Amino acid sequence: MMWPGLAGRLSRVLVGCHPRRWRERYGGEMVDVLDQHQASARTVLNLTASVLSAHADPAYRAERPARIRLSDGEKPVIAVAAAVLAIVTVIFIGAWNDRWHLSGAGGVGGVAFAPGQHLLVSAVGGASQDSMDTMWDITDPARPRQLSAFQGGEPTALSPDGRIVATLSYDGQPVLWDVANPRRPARIATMPTGGTAPLWGEAFSPDGQILAVAYTDQIFLWDVASAARPRLLRTLAAPVTPAGEASFTPQDITFSPDGRILASVTGTDHVTVWNVTDPARAARIATLTSPRDFAQAITFSPRGNLLAGVTYNGTVLVFSLADPARPTLTATISGITADALYPDGLLQHPDAPPCPSCSPANYAVAFTPDGRTLTVVVARQEGNVTASAFSMATRDTVFTWNVTSSGAVSSLTTAFRDVDDSEPTLAPDGRTVADGSPTSNAVYLWTPP
Amino acid sequence: MEPGTLYGALSRLERRGWVRPLATAERRRPYQITAAGQEILAEQVTTMQQIVHVARLRTAMAWGA
Repeated sequence: MMWPGLAGRLSRVLVGCHPRRWRERYGGEMVDVLDQHQASARTVLNLTASVLSAHADPAYRAERPARIRLSDGEKPVIAVAAAVLAIVTVIFIGAWNDRWHLSGAGGVGGVAFAPGQHLLVSAVGGASQDSMDTMWDITDPARPRQLSAFQGGEPTALSPDGRIVATLSYDGQPVLWDVANPRRPARIATMPTGGTAPLWGEAFSPDGQILAVAYTDQIFLWDVASAARPRLLRTLAAPVTPAGEASFTPQDITFSPDGRILASVTGTDHVTVWNVTDPARAARIATLTSPRDFAQAITFSPRGNLLAGVTYNGTVLVFSLADPARPTLTATISGITADALYPDGLLQHPDAPPCPSCSPANYAVAFTPDGRTLTVVVARQEGNVTASAFSMATRDTVFTWNVTSSGAVSSLTTAFRDVDDSEPTLAPDGRTVADGSPTSNAVYLWTPP
Repeated sequence: MEPGTLYGALSRLERRGWVRPLATAERRRPYQITAAGQEILAEQVTTMQQIVHVARLRTAMAWGA
């Protein structure tokens, strides 16, 4: 990893080196863009070129007073400054030729919060050279502060104490990072991969001792109590969608708050409930079905007696796990995508004909920590075609219901916001919505009123 | 894309009157294409189409693709 802090500071200095008229017009915007950008050696070189070309531009040069005359005393100072800039540039080019390039190309695909922590990790890309994880301080949610960036990628999980991040490596193996000092993440362990299926999810148990690593056909349970020496405890065979049956395979995995149950969705119409009280003897205890519909996001209530899920077609299901081996359905709310608020005049208004090329909705689901409110976020990306233009718009619609301890739901409220991304995540408070930028490593946080 | 490249392009587009800045909203400034910009874009698309057309003809002539 290089020095994102230094590159960021140099970039800001370079913004200030533009001609005055340029700065007045673009300086503020550029600083805002830099705040949301992973500054690197390339950024510094690029901005240096921007400064030189702006100064060479007659439109900006015309504004300058008469030619600046350097006194004899100033000439050596300028020469030294130029030499220092050249040396810094050479060092940065060296740092840039790292094995991994933290480009952040492609946009945020995963976001992980640590409960009770003011930390957030955003991940860009999967097992590729361009993938990257960014650690953020979200003490002030209006202005997330970037602490560091490292060579991870989605999926990403943050341990409940906020000290370990699980990502994957360039060649697809699960990797653990020590982020006890979030400004200096250190790679501490790489686990062997589980066969040839892609790794799509990772989840820490609430006590942080177990890491569930989910592939399309298997779930591996790793003992990570000693994070530098992970130990494989158990391999579970996950239900697999028959080949060719589904083009869309939503996946989610989550532990119950007491850590005794693991629930997984692996792209079938099943939610599988596993007893992981003794992880080395983990076994399936129940299967929840949503016939001809895929569960897409699942979550446990804070007391662990309820499991809520949202399906591909926008049905919210609440199950009681009072007896985990005999789950009972306590609430069904259908048609929430039809109730989602749509950007005006867009193709996918519920009354509009189906749009096969439009992307499906993405969902996030969470309970508030008091267990009395269930929140579901529906993110819809839609195309708007007019005679002269094509544009895309994404809107988050947030539904909240009151939930009783037995799993009955009532009195709905909604709120919405237009966003960039179509993959929302809910924070541990069950209210704050995180949306990653589709083009950079930036994350936007907002809370419905 | 690096910010220097982005703002180099934006400032040139704006100076030529092809885009105009809208009000900043939450640390993001949207830019809108102008009527002049639309005209230029349409011309550019037409030019590219002609290039593609000519390339198709030439390659078809050369190796019958």
